[in-house]
Amino acid sequence: MPQFFLNKRLIVLLVSIIFLVALIGFSLKDRQNLTWPEQFIKDTTGFVQFIFHKPAQFVAGFFENVNDIKHTYKENKILKARLEEYAVLEAQVQELEKENERLREFLDKKESLRDFDPIQATVVGRNPDRWQELIIVNKGERHGVTKGMAVITPSKALVGKVQHVSPFTATIQLLSASDQKNRISAFVQGEENAFGLIEGYDEKRKALILKRIPFDAKIKKKQKVLTSGLGGVFPKGLVIGEVLEVKPDEYGLTRMAYVKPYANFYDIDDVIIAKRKIDYPVEKGEGEE
Amino acid sequence: MKKLALPFLVILFFVSESIVVDLWPKNEFYEKYIFVPRFLLITIVFVTVYVTRFYGIVYGFIFGLLYDVFYTEILGVYMFIFALIAYLTSKAMRVFYNNVLVTSFLSIVAVSMVEFYVYGIYLLIGKTNMPFETFLYNRLLPTIFLNTIFVILVSYPLQQQLMKVPIREREDEDYLL
Repeated sequence: MPQFFLNKRLIVLLVSIIFLVALIGFSLKDRQNLTWPEQFIKDTTGFVQFIFHKPAQFVAGFFENVNDIKHTYKENKILKARLEEYAVLEAQVQELEKENERLREFLDKKESLRDFDPIQATVVGRNPDRWQELIIVNKGERHGVTKGMAVITPSKALVGKVQHVSPFTATIQLLSASDQKNRISAFVQGEENAFGLIEGYDEKRKALILKRIPFDAKIKKKQKVLTSGLGGVFPKGLVIGEVLEVKPDEYGLTRMAYVKPYANFYDIDDVIIAKRKIDYPVEKGEGEE
Repeated sequence: MKKLALPFLVILFFVSESIVVDLWPKNEFYEKYIFVPRFLLITIVFVTVYVTRFYGIVYGFIFGLLYDVFYTEILGVYMFIFALIAYLTSKAMRVFYNNVLVTSFLSIVAVSMVEFYVYGIYLLIGKTNMPFETFLYNRLLPTIFLNTIFVILVSYPLQQQLMKVPIREREDEDYLL
């Protein structure tokens, strides 16, 4: 046996495997915050990434623009055709918004679950081993970002939520991550709103799964799915996607729907982190659903 | 200035992985086939062979840790394998003849080893439920393809750069491990 203990390499290997298992176990724990060395490394690396990333994005953006110009004529034709539709819609929206405001004043109800402060952020890194879809942005705790906040694209479609924050960066878990804990309270817009929870992502259909919809709710294809704002830190009324297909749940007590997300999860350069105005922060760490 | 060349080179490849994934044209092809750039790993293999084993293991350890903390948020996975790959490479180089082609081949072997290892660990901790066949055809083969192209482009200039790195002694450091 003494010879076994004299073999230095074997000891080092065994110790490092134990260390590895311990570290993995530690990081899989449902952590509220990152430890300070991690936060420090994230901030420093984030800064370096930012320096390299910006010029690269700029150059790529230029080529993309050139590519876009080629299709401009065709697109312009289609868009012109839809312009009238848009003008009518916009007039309607404005009128409704005004009326809403007036009614609110009438009721003396100033706050709403819908209001949020947008925090603009740029993507500085993306997980290269694409086992988990994680992106890193350049805004963090100092800018008011906290764990669990909703992240949307500039066109206001939901893409994910904040997983961890450090003082100057935040890690965003995209909705396409196959994480059961990634639940979002949502509803299907219709004559009567049907509420449910977004739980997980179907890789094959490329669709989110909206579960726990009441069995008697009337849902049709193409109806829009929005966040309900009932779960915690998410504001109300962020667009998620539209219903693709409805079917009974595994147990047959409730129904589930496949929701096609509006946001393109892969093509993301800039994001907006939505910091809800109402009741925020009531209690830190309560944000999780 | 010359002393900073090696860290700068490794940082460059570390950052380039994320940039490549970010700037990759995002179409259906991207969603179906997963090309994982493993430029950092390839660089570490080259550092092990053309600088010293000690440098290889240390760089593997440090940048593996950065990779874990910054990108994946599961600590330990890459830190362990990058250092181990550096060690195994140095062992392998005792058997093989020292040549750019051999080193390139070894780095591709290292890439596939890391892919299998990470797949195994993620399967174990339940982070993925990808079937083995999907892993093989949609992930491993495209990854090997991408990294082979990278190695072909970069191996010779990288070797030339690494040979210039000034270190105190290039002799065997068997007292460390």
